[in-house]
Amino acid sequence: MTDTATTTATDLATSAPDSAPVSALERRIEMTVVMADIEKDVEQRLRQMARTVKVPGFRPGKVPMKMVAQQHGHQAHSEALGAAVEKAFGEQVRAQKLKVAGQPRIEPKMDNSEGAMTFFATFEVYPEISLADLAGQSLEKATLVVTDAEVDKTIEVLRKQRTTYAGVDRAAQNEDRLVIDFVGRKDGTEFPGGKADDFAVIVGGGNMVPDFEAQLVGVKAGDRKTFDVKFPDDYQAEDLAGLTVQFEITVKKVEAPQLPAVDAEFAKQLGVSDGDVEKMRHEVRSNLEREVKKRLNSKLKEQVMEVLLAVNPIEVPKALIEMESNQMADAARRDMESRGMNVKNIPFDPSWFGAQAIRRVKLGLLLAELVKGRELHAKPEQVRAVIDDFSQTFEDPTEVVRWYYSQPQRLAEAEALALENNVVEWVLGQVKVTEQAVDFDDLMSNAGSES
Amino acid sequence: MSKNFNQERLLQVLVAPQVSEKATYVADKHEQVVFIVTPCATKPEVKAAVELLFKVQVKSVQIANLKGKTKRFGRGLGRRSNIRKAFVCLKPGQEINFAEGVGV
Repeated sequence: MTDTATTTATDLATSAPDSAPVSALERRIEMTVVMADIEKDVEQRLRQMARTVKVPGFRPGKVPMKMVAQQHGHQAHSEALGAAVEKAFGEQVRAQKLKVAGQPRIEPKMDNSEGAMTFFATFEVYPEISLADLAGQSLEKATLVVTDAEVDKTIEVLRKQRTTYAGVDRAAQNEDRLVIDFVGRKDGTEFPGGKADDFAVIVGGGNMVPDFEAQLVGVKAGDRKTFDVKFPDDYQAEDLAGLTVQFEITVKKVEAPQLPAVDAEFAKQLGVSDGDVEKMRHEVRSNLEREVKKRLNSKLKEQVMEVLLAVNPIEVPKALIEMESNQMADAARRDMESRGMNVKNIPFDPSWFGAQAIRRVKLGLLLAELVKGRELHAKPEQVRAVIDDFSQTFEDPTEVVRWYYSQPQRLAEAEALALENNVVEWVLGQVKVTEQAVDFDDLMSNAGSES
Repeated sequence: MSKNFNQERLLQVLVAPQVSEKATYVADKHEQVVFIVTPCATKPEVKAAVELLFKVQVKSVQIANLKGKTKRFGRGLGRRSNIRKAFVCLKPGQEINFAEGVGV
């Protein structure tokens, strides 16, 4: 049906007044559509329709034209009009070489002259991007070399995660684990949640009210103790917040923490099957190096993008921002759903992502321009390198490589990454780079929240 | 002639206009309009009813009885109800416009 529409719509008269800028990126153009052409188009559409339309009592194709017109005339008319307007719009856009972002908003003009209809189309165009020179810019490149000290630190963390507790006969110290029974009384009566048997608590672990934990230091197995605890004012149970409550505890066990020794057993737990400690250290080190490299890279990338954004202030079409934030809202929803949350009742407002979306759109436009202007396309061998890098962390790298190459979609992901790397490299070549060593702990903690 | 009929009865005579290929065919050829009518309607009743409801003049009425088809449903036999069709021939120059609605 649409093919026939376009053939008749070619002779539409379109007046093309200069598109008047409404805002910086908004354009408005006027189009005129001749009614006689529309009528002709409608008729053609109806004739086409009559061949297939189904009406009870008639064989397909035998329905009288009058009935078809009665039932589908309105639809055919709006379709013909839509096609004609779209066509006229497309012609003007091409004639004026506009790059339209998003969907145009089309409104009929009120005072329609005889035999023709006039429409206004309001839409946004892509901004003209002229990339600024980066020569004057500088950024700090964070560096960090993984040494034995860092490896030791990491192994220490791993040990702490595998802490075991064994009963001891001495007074409790910080970091000991106690098994206690406790009863809490408010004005002599027990309150809900204030009682537990065989409760394991780590002294100084921060899981209980600080006052309570402070009272546990120095107790021994078999001790009974009664003391007052003042709940903090911002305690989550409102009826207890700020109150002073009496607790009575019975200490059943005092257990001291024991860090596992760095030995073959420990190595086996970490996945080194033959229990070779040297090998384990090596493994930890290479993992660490990869992680550090990744975080440094992402940090660098972030900085590069910042520089790009700062140097090239551009205005972005609202339609694109809207699209992007909608997409982000969708992604967030899917992400939560895949984690098993019930997202049906959570309203997602795309405007939450507004600022982020603007940034993303800006970057997207800038990167596209950069890539086009500077020939930074991802080459196949670069994509391959990225994928190889990915696959390193998996047990069977060749399988992972195959997985990526089996679907273009997955490959696109790697391509995007290779492209970003190209851009980062290019930018680094343009700007002044100063190297700066960062602290291991800083890097691991703050980068962790971003990734 | 319509004065001889009870108006309430006349309102019940016409069930529905019959819209089909054949109905449009006869409408073109003989200026006839096809209605489905109640099984007990007579020709004068149909004529009076059409004249009353559509404010047109009727030349003649032909009537046909359609036996309902026997349909098997599983083991049992079923029968669709019979239909009585009236072919109403209008006087030259007259027309019924169904889209405009029925004016009583």
